[in-house]
Amino acid sequence: MTTTTARPARATVHVDHRRRYARRARIADLIVVAFWASGAAAIALFLASGGAGQFTSVGEAITSLGIVTGLVGTDYVLVMLVLAARIPLIDRTIGHDRAMAVHRKLGKPALYLLLAHGVLLLVGYGISSGIDPIAEIGSMLALPDLPLAFIALGLLITVVVTSLVAVKRKFSYEGWHLVHLLSYVAVAFALPHQFSNGGVLAEGTAQRVYWIALTVLAFGSILTFRFIEPVVVSLRHRIRVAGVVPVAPGVVSIHLSGRGLRALDARGGQFFQWRFWTGSTWWHSHPISLSAMPTDSSARITVRDLGAGSAAISAVPTGTVVSIEGPYGLFSDAARTAPKMAIMAAGIGVTPVRAMLEHASFAPGEATVLLRAGSEDETYLWDEVRAIAQAKGADCYVMVGERARRGATWMTQHDRERGVSLTSVFPDLLDSDVYVCGPSGWLDAVEADVKRAGLPSHQLHSERFDW
Amino acid sequence: MRTRTLLGSILASIGVLVVGWQAGTTVLGTTTVATPSSSTGGATTGGSTTGGSTTSGGSSTSSPAATPTSAASQTATYTGTEVNTRFGSVQVQVTVTDGTISDVTALKLTDHDGKSVQISNRAAPVLREEVLAAQSASVSNVSGATYTTQAYLTSVQSALDQAGL
Amino acid sequence: MRTTFESMGTVVSLEAPAVSHPLVRRVFETAEARFSLFRPDSELSRVAAGELPLTRAGSQLRDTYARAVLWRERTDGAFTPNRPDGVIDLNGIVKAEAVEAAGAALTAAGWHHWSINAGGDILVADAGHDGAPHLIALADPADASATLCAITLAGPRRAVATSGSAQRGDHIWRGGSRTPAAFVQVSVVADDIVTADVLATAIVASGRDTLDAVCDRWDVDVFTVDRDGAMLATPGLRAALAA
Repeated sequence: MTTTTARPARATVHVDHRRRYARRARIADLIVVAFWASGAAAIALFLASGGAGQFTSVGEAITSLGIVTGLVGTDYVLVMLVLAARIPLIDRTIGHDRAMAVHRKLGKPALYLLLAHGVLLLVGYGISSGIDPIAEIGSMLALPDLPLAFIALGLLITVVVTSLVAVKRKFSYEGWHLVHLLSYVAVAFALPHQFSNGGVLAEGTAQRVYWIALTVLAFGSILTFRFIEPVVVSLRHRIRVAGVVPVAPGVVSIHLSGRGLRALDARGGQFFQWRFWTGSTWWHSHPISLSAMPTDSSARITVRDLGAGSAAISAVPTGTVVSIEGPYGLFSDAARTAPKMAIMAAGIGVTPVRAMLEHASFAPGEATVLLRAGSEDETYLWDEVRAIAQAKGADCYVMVGERARRGATWMTQHDRERGVSLTSVFPDLLDSDVYVCGPSGWLDAVEADVKRAGLPSHQLHSERFDW
Repeated sequence: MRTRTLLGSILASIGVLVVGWQAGTTVLGTTTVATPSSSTGGATTGGSTTGGSTTSGGSSTSSPAATPTSAASQTATYTGTEVNTRFGSVQVQVTVTDGTISDVTALKLTDHDGKSVQISNRAAPVLREEVLAAQSASVSNVSGATYTTQAYLTSVQSALDQAGL
Repeated sequence: MRTTFESMGTVVSLEAPAVSHPLVRRVFETAEARFSLFRPDSELSRVAAGELPLTRAGSQLRDTYARAVLWRERTDGAFTPNRPDGVIDLNGIVKAEAVEAAGAALTAAGWHHWSINAGGDILVADAGHDGAPHLIALADPADASATLCAITLAGPRRAVATSGSAQRGDHIWRGGSRTPAAFVQVSVVADDIVTADVLATAIVASGRDTLDAVCDRWDVDVFTVDRDGAMLATPGLRAALAA
């Protein structure tokens, strides 16, 4: 490990980051509360229609339960849509990765609720009218919009089953994603029967207005932020591949041209979803961080060609049209909560760090950077990072070598033997926001060490690069 | 989840549920009357009710509009509140004579499209005698299928017009 | 003061102050000049003959046609302004529109006691103006010199129209159907004369299903007579039978 700069002392402004973080946390909490409250609201819709009195007989009670599970289950599905819509507010406060984690967790409960909805209603109506549930299915199918609703349930089952880890592994990502998009169709097919079959959402009720608003919000979010906005942004900024430059064995920097790129408002460390429009690459969108802050007319990303997708984009010809979605990510100085910054980057993980260092504002001595590589081949962009660190008064350490076999395995064996530790590199660790970016295995080791040191979880910001 | 978020969610959810419950109690009303036992689902498709049970079992409040017709027999009419069934809204009016239900009229039924329909305005057979008994000496005009100028001359309208001119 | 005059192939009976008679005649004359298919020089005849494209016809003709088409949509085709050979025949709506226009002119001119009967289409002044309710007789489809009954026109109900398959059925196009009409006579009581006229025509043209649909969807009263003499009436019309 070698040191590169001296550290001038200077007072830093603490309050700013803490207060901003507190505000972000409050908004994030409100969003979470709103989501849970929406589930309660679904039940409240039922209660407001006099539902509490509809448990007087067994058949009626089962039917009422069927109605409630349908309402809550659909509410969860709509919430899942909103979470997946990449709404900027959610990305800025909760963070997209946390939102997607919640999205994934809601999948099975939502499906169970909707399955219960179907079964309970069949049984309940069957008891009330003296018909067995199987025959009941026949009469149900005669009702308007119910055949569509049955199809919707089937589609939803398909989507959830293919998302189970065991099954998802068998698909390519793009194949799985295609099946997953059927969830839009499922929600759309289920809508008509919700509105036409009377009951809680009958015409003229406030409940109907609320439900329509909720549906519009969910689909509107998806439409706006997953479809319209990316198209508008891509058309407005006219991004094209300007050139592809190898920077290390298996690593290239793709230079992009465009216009008004500063208006993208990307913060250093954020990423975009990139789509390169050539015959072989258009169907795959890649999450890649900017490896430098864009000028108005140029931008740069640096990619490692691991995996078929990335290998293809390393070879895109100059002039290729590029469309983007973003910027996304909380791996930037916007996520700061503490006075100092402790930044660790390994291999390809240097890319967002390079951009973040360039963009972040910090006083000399506030930030410390540790660059990690397995071999000299993986030290691309390090010269740029060191130059920025020197110019902005940040400490910069480098560590090259194979990982230690035991203990804190993120370090090199050599440095472990020398007694290097997190706190020796980052003495103010507990007063810092720790930013870590690199391959999953290495990152896990860092996180374990960081947690052992007692760092509060809100001060840890990780960006996993699995390729 | 953080403690603050957890508490906030629980409190907000309870609040929402209470509001819904309150709104529901006004819908349910204060008194409940046994629902009419006749089938209300006459015009609906799908699972039909059998005698003695209704499809949704929503309670109805009674607003008696008793109109005793004679000293010997007591007749009262009760209109139930609108009830939501899976087919839509249903509302019935029940006529009780001498303690038994003598007539049930469906005021509001869904048709097979699930839309609520006022069926109380349908044309029903009317006795010829009743129609012919409705005569008046002071009619001002006659409405009939359009007559030609020729046919007019021998029509009732022309007689009225001549009398008025 | 009552007067009669010929227009549109029938006789119009007008009960109104004498000074208003020319006004009403003019309304009917204008309509006839524009819409009569029996006059080769009328605007509609020229359109039917292909001399004048519909798009270059006057706005009143196009408005009337548009209104007739709208009624075709609303009655699911039971009422239609197109003859089986495709020619536009607005007879089904023109007479009622003329009555409506005449009534509007009378009201605008400040007269509040009048009735117009154009060949069986009747519109009365707003009965709320301290006038006694009008009594209207319904014709007997089997006997032109007799009437079936009398009904009271009161409140918002100001218009009665009767359509029959017996007499001038040539303007009721039943989509080329050769089956006999279910009803020989249909009378519709409504708040305005065009609605009454169109719906009466539609029910005669299509029969029982249209009758039920009309009763469900429009706020009107209906009285029908079928070929056996059996009669149907909506509750409102039953109540309107003269006591």
